[in-house]
Amino acid sequence: MSVISHISEKIGRFFEKGRPLHCFHSLWDAVDTFLLTPAEVTKEGSHIRDAVDMKRIMITVMIALMPALLFGMWNLGYQHYLSVGMETGFWSCFWYGFLKWLPLVIVTYISGLAIEVAFAQWRGHQVAEGFFVTGFIIPLIMPPDVPLWIVAVATAFSVLFAKEVFGGTGYNFLNPALVARAFVFFAYPSVISGDSVWIAESADAVSGATPLALVMNGNMAQMPSFLDMFVGTIPGCIGETSKIAILLGAAVLLFTQVASWRIMLSVVVGGFVTGTLFHTAGVCPVNGWQHLLMGGFLFGAVFMATDPVTATHTKSGKYIYGLLIGVLAIVIRVVNKGYPEGMMLAILLMNIFAPLIDYCVVKVRVKKRKLNISKHRIKL
Amino acid sequence: MEFRIRKGLDIRLDGEARREVRPLETVRYYVSPSDFRWLKPQLLVEAGSEVAVGTPLFASKEDERVVVVSSVKGTVREIVRGERRSVETIVLEAFPSDPFRKQVDFAEPETSDEVASLLLSNGLWPFLRQRPFSVIPSPDSRPKSLFISCFDSAPLAPENDFLLQGRAEEFREGVRRLHQLVGAGCPIHLCLRDGVENACFEAAENVQFHHFSGPHPAGNVGTQIHRIDPIDKGERVWYIHSQDVAAIGRFFLTHTLSFERMVAVTGPCIKSPRYYTMVYGADISTILQEQIEAKNARIISGNILTGKQLSQFPHVRLYDTQLTAIAEGGEREFIGWLLPGFRKWSQSHTFTAWLFRRKTFSHNTSLHGGRRAFVMTDVYEKVFPFEILPLQLLKACLTDDIEQMEELGIYEVDDEDFALCEVVCPSKMEWQKTVREALFRLRKEIGDS
Repeated sequence: MSVISHISEKIGRFFEKGRPLHCFHSLWDAVDTFLLTPAEVTKEGSHIRDAVDMKRIMITVMIALMPALLFGMWNLGYQHYLSVGMETGFWSCFWYGFLKWLPLVIVTYISGLAIEVAFAQWRGHQVAEGFFVTGFIIPLIMPPDVPLWIVAVATAFSVLFAKEVFGGTGYNFLNPALVARAFVFFAYPSVISGDSVWIAESADAVSGATPLALVMNGNMAQMPSFLDMFVGTIPGCIGETSKIAILLGAAVLLFTQVASWRIMLSVVVGGFVTGTLFHTAGVCPVNGWQHLLMGGFLFGAVFMATDPVTATHTKSGKYIYGLLIGVLAIVIRVVNKGYPEGMMLAILLMNIFAPLIDYCVVKVRVKKRKLNISKHRIKL
Repeated sequence: MEFRIRKGLDIRLDGEARREVRPLETVRYYVSPSDFRWLKPQLLVEAGSEVAVGTPLFASKEDERVVVVSSVKGTVREIVRGERRSVETIVLEAFPSDPFRKQVDFAEPETSDEVASLLLSNGLWPFLRQRPFSVIPSPDSRPKSLFISCFDSAPLAPENDFLLQGRAEEFREGVRRLHQLVGAGCPIHLCLRDGVENACFEAAENVQFHHFSGPHPAGNVGTQIHRIDPIDKGERVWYIHSQDVAAIGRFFLTHTLSFERMVAVTGPCIKSPRYYTMVYGADISTILQEQIEAKNARIISGNILTGKQLSQFPHVRLYDTQLTAIAEGGEREFIGWLLPGFRKWSQSHTFTAWLFRRKTFSHNTSLHGGRRAFVMTDVYEKVFPFEILPLQLLKACLTDDIEQMEELGIYEVDDEDFALCEVVCPSKMEWQKTVREALFRLRKEIGDS
């Protein structure tokens, strides 16, 4: 241990103020604190601190994403070989998916981190860990065959305009990963919509339509079984298909208390209730719980809606925020046939409304506090 | 009344003081104006002057009647000045024969003002503090209620019934005089810990007893005020430590002025944690030499949450009844953010230590991370037992939005109430400093409540 910290100290000297490499000190700091926990001690206020820090929280989210990622890699290969009619083993499916995923994630990280580090350097801050999760999620919510340059442009756009212009991680009001996806959706719709994009290098004859698209086009006959949708052996983005894997991730997030159960629960409730209402009214053939298994609903509920920065910050606000995401996602799905995946837009929309919800909740609390104080007056 | 505090956190540390007392005798005594919040001192002595117990050392520039007095008979050895010649510390040297007490002659006070002027002229007034702001109250003001917290819930805090062992009569007299001071219309609230020995407090008359249970900060006076008699704009509440009530009681009962007090010496770095009796300001170097082996220990006047790190003139501050020593951190750990963390203390459940419900951790002063922008939104409310939105209030403090601060209840809180929020903050923010600075600006803006 002391050897590593000794070496890091030696290298670190080149990045000190006035030394030739000072212009890269943020980058060095990121590498250094990645390898070794910081040596800083408390100065003001409390003399001891909780061991948890942003790195730990972000790594916990990444661990929670692992099941979805691993399953997604395998499923990518599985869907590809299925469409071309080849029978292969587990590992070759997995390997195929891995090779598809790897360039995506590399491009995302290079494009995003370059901007992230440049801004940290410019501001004289340390590099914030937020992007590690963002960059991890982006490949999971892109179609497998999306051109890499589009991923790079989308990532750069989202990091720049959804995050850095507002001050970086913690100051953004839109979920950067979703902004990247929305950017692709609106700027390059052909690569992210339609029936042909959800299976990697699929054979032309095979329709790779997602269950969601099938339902919305009234094509109930071709629907995969709901067990398939639950397990995840269906076409779709890498991360979103397996509901089991997502629920495993949700368990990790809830168990470690990194994500808010209030949001997760209310998104699911909102989606279920709205779905059931549409079903009973005869507008949509899919009922409430089936809606939860389709598309990116669950992935959004677990990993995107719960982003603590862009969600509401008050406790009761979280219920409202989550509920509205659930409701809106299903409304967009059912009403707008052109774009069946409503989750992304629902979350982005509610991101925008989150400060307003918080504002109202705070106002109510202030009123309650005044009442509370006057009650004390009467009692005394 | 009974109050059950649910939100909060008890941090367990080794080194709780055993119930045994040693006297501390030393010749050096330090009095620092910075021990009193925002007090601007008007120096009344100079280097070389002779002082007795009760001789004013400095007065507050805001009100010259408020004086801090010498707790020993001796000479002013040195006046240490800091930046811009501000008085940092007054170093006193006690005469060898000093009994550390003085008989004072006075007629029995009959009115509130007479009690006040006796407290003021003998330097006992600074024991009183006022919320909002935790400053020494103005002698002309009177509070809407007075709080005496008879227990301390902070980590390794001393047991107040032990601090007041055999002083029940003095405590009773102190409460009686305080009652005379604040007037019949102002209730005195005595806050006791549920389920512990409280005999020495229960003799007090004309007070309302309240029983608190639950984790820290149940013993913080802010929590108690919030539950019993919340403060609105323009209102003020006074509070005082139970040991200081007994000091006031002793003064009126026996006409003896003495600043002798009991202090718990605690912490994992202390060889044999126990109580010491000492006079306010006493140089604690001998305790440190005797009790501390570790090379790298941080000495704190107060507890690990709100205390002040001691360096040059080590003494226990007037409002502290505890001295804590913990190990300095700063050890670097290889990819620590990724390891399971079997021995890491954390309120979050992101380390496996939580799974195994470890009871003891070796706490040190490591920050465990770098400062980040604010990200996690629901960590504070779990340890903040106020009907106040902590996050929104802190944001208002950061942006200096006075209107919002008032609406959210800034007058009810003090920096110590945010100590636990600071401890659990994954972004490693300095919330106590934020709140203290906001209160300072607020007081400048609106005056003393």
